[in-house]
Amino acid sequence: MFYPQEMTEIELIVPTKDLLSVTKVLSRRGVFYQADSYYSSPEAKTTSPNVWQERTAAYAALERRILNIMQSLGVDEGNPPSHEFETMVEIETIRPAVDEIEHEVKNISDRLAAENKKIEQMQNLLTQLEPLAGIELEINAIRNPHYLYSVLGTMPVSNIDRLQTSLSRIPFVFTPLRTDHSTAVVWLAGLKSHDEILERAARSAYLNPINLPESYEGTPAEIIRRLNQNIEDARRSIEALKVDMSQLRTRHDKKLQSMLWEVRSSRMVTDAIVRYGRLKYTYLVVGWVVSSALADLEQRIREASKETIIETHPVHRGGQNRNVPIALRHSKLLRPFQMLVTTYGRPSYGELDPTILMAVMFPLLYGAMFGDVGQGLVLALLGWLIATKRILGGMASLGGVIMACGLSATIFGFLYGSIFGFEHVIPALWIIPVENILTILGIAIGAGVILLSLGFILGIINAWKARDWGRLLFDHYGIAGLVFYWSLIGLVASVVLRDQMPVPQPVIVALAAISGLAVMFSEFFIRLVEGHRPVIEGSLGVYIIQAFFELFETFISFLSNSLSYVRVGAFAVAHGGLSSAIFLLAELASPDRGVGYWIVILIGNIFIIGFEGLIVGIQTMRLSYYEFFGKFFRGGGMRYEPLTIRPTAEE
Amino acid sequence: MYSTLFTQQQWDALYEAADYNSLITQLKHSEYGPYLDKAKEKDLTPRRAAYQIRERLTDAYTSIIRMAPESARPLLTHRYRNFEVDNLKAVLRGIAAGVSWDRVRFILFPLGSETVLPAQEMMESGNVAAAVEMLRATPYYETLSYAMTRYSAEKNIFPLEVALDLNYWRELWKDVNHLSGEDRKQWLRIVGGLIDMNNLMWAIRYRVYHNLSEEEVVNYTLPFGYKVGDKDIRAIAAGSDIPQVVKRIYPDLPDVESLLQEPRKGLPALEMLLKRRIMQQCQAAFLGNPFHIGLPLAFLQLLEFEIQDLTVLIEAKSAIDLDEDFRAYLVMGQMAKA
Repeated sequence: MFYPQEMTEIELIVPTKDLLSVTKVLSRRGVFYQADSYYSSPEAKTTSPNVWQERTAAYAALERRILNIMQSLGVDEGNPPSHEFETMVEIETIRPAVDEIEHEVKNISDRLAAENKKIEQMQNLLTQLEPLAGIELEINAIRNPHYLYSVLGTMPVSNIDRLQTSLSRIPFVFTPLRTDHSTAVVWLAGLKSHDEILERAARSAYLNPINLPESYEGTPAEIIRRLNQNIEDARRSIEALKVDMSQLRTRHDKKLQSMLWEVRSSRMVTDAIVRYGRLKYTYLVVGWVVSSALADLEQRIREASKETIIETHPVHRGGQNRNVPIALRHSKLLRPFQMLVTTYGRPSYGELDPTILMAVMFPLLYGAMFGDVGQGLVLALLGWLIATKRILGGMASLGGVIMACGLSATIFGFLYGSIFGFEHVIPALWIIPVENILTILGIAIGAGVILLSLGFILGIINAWKARDWGRLLFDHYGIAGLVFYWSLIGLVASVVLRDQMPVPQPVIVALAAISGLAVMFSEFFIRLVEGHRPVIEGSLGVYIIQAFFELFETFISFLSNSLSYVRVGAFAVAHGGLSSAIFLLAELASPDRGVGYWIVILIGNIFIIGFEGLIVGIQTMRLSYYEFFGKFFRGGGMRYEPLTIRPTAEE
Repeated sequence: MYSTLFTQQQWDALYEAADYNSLITQLKHSEYGPYLDKAKEKDLTPRRAAYQIRERLTDAYTSIIRMAPESARPLLTHRYRNFEVDNLKAVLRGIAAGVSWDRVRFILFPLGSETVLPAQEMMESGNVAAAVEMLRATPYYETLSYAMTRYSAEKNIFPLEVALDLNYWRELWKDVNHLSGEDRKQWLRIVGGLIDMNNLMWAIRYRVYHNLSEEEVVNYTLPFGYKVGDKDIRAIAAGSDIPQVVKRIYPDLPDVESLLQEPRKGLPALEMLLKRRIMQQCQAAFLGNPFHIGLPLAFLQLLEFEIQDLTVLIEAKSAIDLDEDFRAYLVMGQMAKA
């Protein structure tokens, strides 16, 4: 519960004849995490590994084609079938069916694309011809006049002035017929004898003549009518083609889904085989299994192949285990908080998994800052709606966190006696923050000291588990750091409490000095314990200066980390302050407490839930990640992704 | 920032480099070191080295844009887009010439993730029309779509390049004119200087090299600038004597007549003279009141010239027969001892 699941390393030596049956067992159970084992014996003479690579590539290509077809038809992947595929599918048995469906789909898709393009072109022509709709003249008379050079076309608006300037030495007529922000439909005409000048000028000003097919004859209005008619025809064709496509989808969707999963599971098996090591007559399979599932897996492998040699090595949590995949498995309730933890980092093997702590601490801090019965319940309801995918389905994983924060805010609301910002409607079971500012700030710092100390202790436990003795004893967040931190707090307490302090001040000063020196020279001591030589790199003088500044930095960070928790109290106070501001505005809007008063209260509450709720969420995240996790949590673990065609249950 | 540009002593030392390898060794000990170190020693061909040193300009632009006041950022970003326009032209040229991505990638300006161009995909499409279609969601699509009609008919990317250039400078000029006070004065001077140089070179080249008609020259050039006006461009387009026009615009330029007696040879030299004028204008931006956004622009322009010079130097030093004429093609380092 407090650590990632225990893992066992497993090595199999599989005879070639049992290769497929063992691989199917491994991929079917969903518990085997495959590690690469590219070892290949020079004597390996049986099936060349390239054959498996080629088969993988062929399955992958077929899978892509099926997915493309499904995308064109709007068919989803569906769920993996409940039954297991007994054998690997032969590509040649599936390919003809894929070819046939692909051909049918492509035929309709191409025709659809062609019709769409036709519509686009005709609409483009319409845009160019519409300005001429009122001209009762054959279009050919404008396009090909007998005695004039004439060009009707479109050009960039920015070139118009330049075109007119360039023609200053000859007579011409230039009329912009329609102009939008960048394009103009224009008519340029001049004497036939100047056609070359006009032609060059028009071309260099990017005046593109209207590309109207010769078949379009008559007046512009007649052509526009025909174009509209043709666009309608093309749209009708598209509708008909869409019906055909829909029929294809109904006819083939189940078959496509079934083929997809067959091909995908076969691709997965060959993909796994490619990553096996190869010996002369056998294959070497290496990977990891969650220890609790090992016995069952071993039994299944033995049933599939009696001659397979199985070797297992349970992995202890101590020491460095960077290569061990990390399987986190928490209940549904804790999974949203697991997501918050893995966003920061995945614990490494042997490191504490802080999900449970997060599940307690996060809502607690949030609730303390946002304590309000009414707003908390609204937030909890919102979280529930998100978690159950009734709204904002893409954020479902956050729903649980929001719901927990909302419930915690509700509890703190009772403790603070606050409901929708009203501070005196229900009795405060504990304290009213706005009326006890210094008390609440002091409590917040006290809570911060406890949480930080917990962070130190967890860091010490992690270092002890990892047998990292240097870090355990001398690190800033190890025993030396913790003693230094507590002795600093002791010093402050001895000044405040004077004679009531149970420990004499000289003892605290001595502890602070010794632990401070240990923290200051932590690098030296850690290198000494770990056996690194030289224990000091570079000159002694530079090292001492550096060590002094490290001590100074540690002191500052302890101070700032502790004071950081003031914000918990400050936000609790600010919540009350913000509510008072809303009430003030409401009074201004409606002094006799009419409808206006309640509208302002309603809008104010929505604003507080949205705005302050978000800010408090960010602050809680900061306190958790930076102030708390930073003390003990390193992360860097590898995600456990077992072989399976089903998505993993984790996360 | 100004101090990170090369001093005259540093330029002299670079000229003295015996060959390409010793030039690179020297550059590795300069501000360009970290950029050159990003490439493996064996991959550091002259083309790759030139690509790597351009990364310094990318860094300079991105950090200056980040640090600049909110109001100046769009303008600096617009200026930075000039490299994207150049990249786009290079990609289109590459596609039209049928060369591979590997040959083009290190010619491009290293914009990293700061670009909207899917350059590699465009190159791999192998087709200008398909490549332009990939730009649908970018500011270049509309400009290119007008020019594509001509590309389809002529199979020449010239109209595409001209359309991109004209659109870029027009938009930049419009933005600069929205500035006010000292900011406007400084930007008009530097950006206007660049437009003058480009516009003049385009007009002369279109007439001399491409034999375009008067109308085409006018349509392929811009009607504004700092010193070069519409009447100058139209005069060149209409066939006026080019040295006379240039002399009228820049009375202080030395030997314009003899320089342009043979325009094909004289044009590159005229271009260098104009670049040096812009360099001087950039340097002048550092004098007097420093509270204007012309200062970062001037620095970036000087850095661009420095990198252009280094590219010339890299190419010259990597040539089998070192041609000392390369000095004529340097903007910043032309004063170094011969």
